[in-house]
Amino acid sequence: MDLRVRLWKSGYLVALGFAMLCASGATGANNNGDLRELRDGLARFALDSGDPAGALRYTRKSSGEAGLLVRAKALMATGNGGKARPILEQLLEGQYYRGQAALLLADLAAGKDDALARQRLETAARLAHGEARQQALYRLAELQREAGNADRAGQVLALMEPGYWAALGYMNIAADYGKRDLNPSRALVALRVALAMSGEDSDGHRSQELRSRLLVRAGHLAYEHEDYEKAIGFLEKVPLESYSTPQGLYLHGLALSASGNQRAAMQSWHRARKYPLAYPGVANAWLGTGRGYDLAGYLGQAGEAYLAANASYESERVTLRKLTDQIRDKGAFQALVLDARNSEAQWFLADSRTLTQPRTAYLLRFMEQPHAQAAVNRVAELREIGQTLDQHEGSLTVFRGAIRERLGPGATVNLPSEGFDDSIEALANRVANLNAHATSTVQREALKSAARTLSDVKTSIARLDDRLAKKDRELNNLLDQTDSALERVGSIRHRAGALLEQAEAALNEMALVFVEEQDRRLAFALDRTEQQIAHLYEYLALRNIERGQP
Amino acid sequence: MVAGVRETVPVGPGFIMSLPTSMAMLAFIFLAVGSNASAGSLDSDIDRLKADVAELSQTLYELEESVLYPVDTQVAVFLTLSNREGLDLDSVELYLNDKPVASHLYTDRERDSLKQGGVQRLYIGNLPHGSHQLKAVLTARSANERFVRREAVHQFRKRPGESRIQMTLDAKAPDYEPVVSFQEWK
Repeated sequence: MDLRVRLWKSGYLVALGFAMLCASGATGANNNGDLRELRDGLARFALDSGDPAGALRYTRKSSGEAGLLVRAKALMATGNGGKARPILEQLLEGQYYRGQAALLLADLAAGKDDALARQRLETAARLAHGEARQQALYRLAELQREAGNADRAGQVLALMEPGYWAALGYMNIAADYGKRDLNPSRALVALRVALAMSGEDSDGHRSQELRSRLLVRAGHLAYEHEDYEKAIGFLEKVPLESYSTPQGLYLHGLALSASGNQRAAMQSWHRARKYPLAYPGVANAWLGTGRGYDLAGYLGQAGEAYLAANASYESERVTLRKLTDQIRDKGAFQALVLDARNSEAQWFLADSRTLTQPRTAYLLRFMEQPHAQAAVNRVAELREIGQTLDQHEGSLTVFRGAIRERLGPGATVNLPSEGFDDSIEALANRVANLNAHATSTVQREALKSAARTLSDVKTSIARLDDRLAKKDRELNNLLDQTDSALERVGSIRHRAGALLEQAEAALNEMALVFVEEQDRRLAFALDRTEQQIAHLYEYLALRNIERGQP
Repeated sequence: MVAGVRETVPVGPGFIMSLPTSMAMLAFIFLAVGSNASAGSLDSDIDRLKADVAELSQTLYELEESVLYPVDTQVAVFLTLSNREGLDLDSVELYLNDKPVASHLYTDRERDSLKQGGVQRLYIGNLPHGSHQLKAVLTARSANERFVRREAVHQFRKRPGESRIQMTLDAKAPDYEPVVSFQEWK
């Protein structure tokens, strides 16, 4: 009977144990799943906040699709496209991120294998959602447009949702129509569609900037085709705080002048003249003011306006010569990029004055060119790498000092573990005694907590001897790792320095060509004002002769 | 050839170009191709450098954790959002046992990342075994255009091994009242 009971009991215990094991296994699996989610989330935040190396560390063991996608993006951000490719190909066969993976694969293939890039874009357009799909469709439309198939590009754009990418697509198609057609109606329709599409962009700043550009283009097109009312209608909507504003104001003045309203035209040009001469349209606005006075019959003021324009161009050419000297002395990155950042505008004026800083204006104009953006980006990246290496070197030197300190003779401590055990035992006894006399739940909880802490301390002390035995070996290992990392810092810094020199030289060359071009532009404007002044004086002289005056 | 006389070379049917012009064009093409090629090679060199720096940074992270935060005493606090639309986080301050240990002001990109499932490690440090108090003070703008400042307190026990505390922020409609919950990982 006893045996039966014991067997029954042992069977029950085995079943219970098995059930608990299953339960703990399930919890462990959930725990692992949740931990994986936590790591993937950490990786995403690291990548989004500009720390791709952190993202790579968190996703080292990732096997889930979300983690792999972040890893592939981080690899691409750290110049490791080759390692990202197999991960993206795996995701392309997966379940959740096929579209995004196809788009990233298209990025990797772009410029190397155009057929493959197009195929990847088509896959992305079929499988992706949201912004990724819109981007893929836009790029497909651009491929068609660049190949001269504007109608097919239009068909692709028709599949898109309203927003930034669709607006960009229609803006580019409008430019093509504007170049090809004698009649502006197709281009204007495309620009109107682009305007409507840009209104649906969720990014307010981006939408506003694109809208300004679209309005200026539409105004220019209408003006070119002598539809001045329409041009004025478009240009009056250009916001006053955008990069396109000076050009918009100049064109607005031009359209007003063409429709006979010289006074209003001069008001617009006068406003355009408040902006630096680097912006498109500003130099012409100076010239336009003189022309406006001339057409309105105020010849004296016209002469003064031309002379003022002349003086302004001359002074700008001096500024450009100084900029050239600075580029030669300090390098283009310092002279054009960093110095433009350090404007003396007070913070409360900075927003409204940003567009009126001449140095910023030249920087913005320079950065309009894609190859200039790439050149500045190269220098900025290499400078950032230099700063990162400095920080890493500082940290590694501190680690080396800390590890050596722990390895030093003063760091060896002989801990009497028996003494600890006795103390813990005594404390545990005191807790047990107090527990017997505890009267309230709060007291019992506090004692329970103290007992748990004592148990944890005991566990740690039990492991202490083992850990102390391994301590020196582990610290020496860490010291070796630190030394080797410091050596790597040195060799990477050497390479980074050489690359920075090359990148800066290329940027300097590009910036000097740009400044020279700007100087030529101003020399041309100066030539025009001088011609206008000559004409005006000639006319005045002839008139005086006709009147019989000396 | 007499100075000033230009030799013409046939380039294609119906297309005749002077020698100096064609030489200048060829030089321009070579220069353009050369500068593109050198920019391309510079880009690939920079890519290789970036990959090496990223690898070095990972080594540094590992060393940092091994040297500064031994596993047995390590405590890390993470922040996640459970509701995408409820709150726009402005700042978070963390106090451990009433001592300020971390604070963070959020950028738009960081806010977006949190809304899309990103997890931020707010704090990593060392604590002895036993009971401790974690206090979080957060300021945010709720979806109903209110500026809110809330404090949340969590008592926890540091036990042997890594301790991870996940702080989850939620604000549900209609009142978008911020609720902070804590979860401990072993």
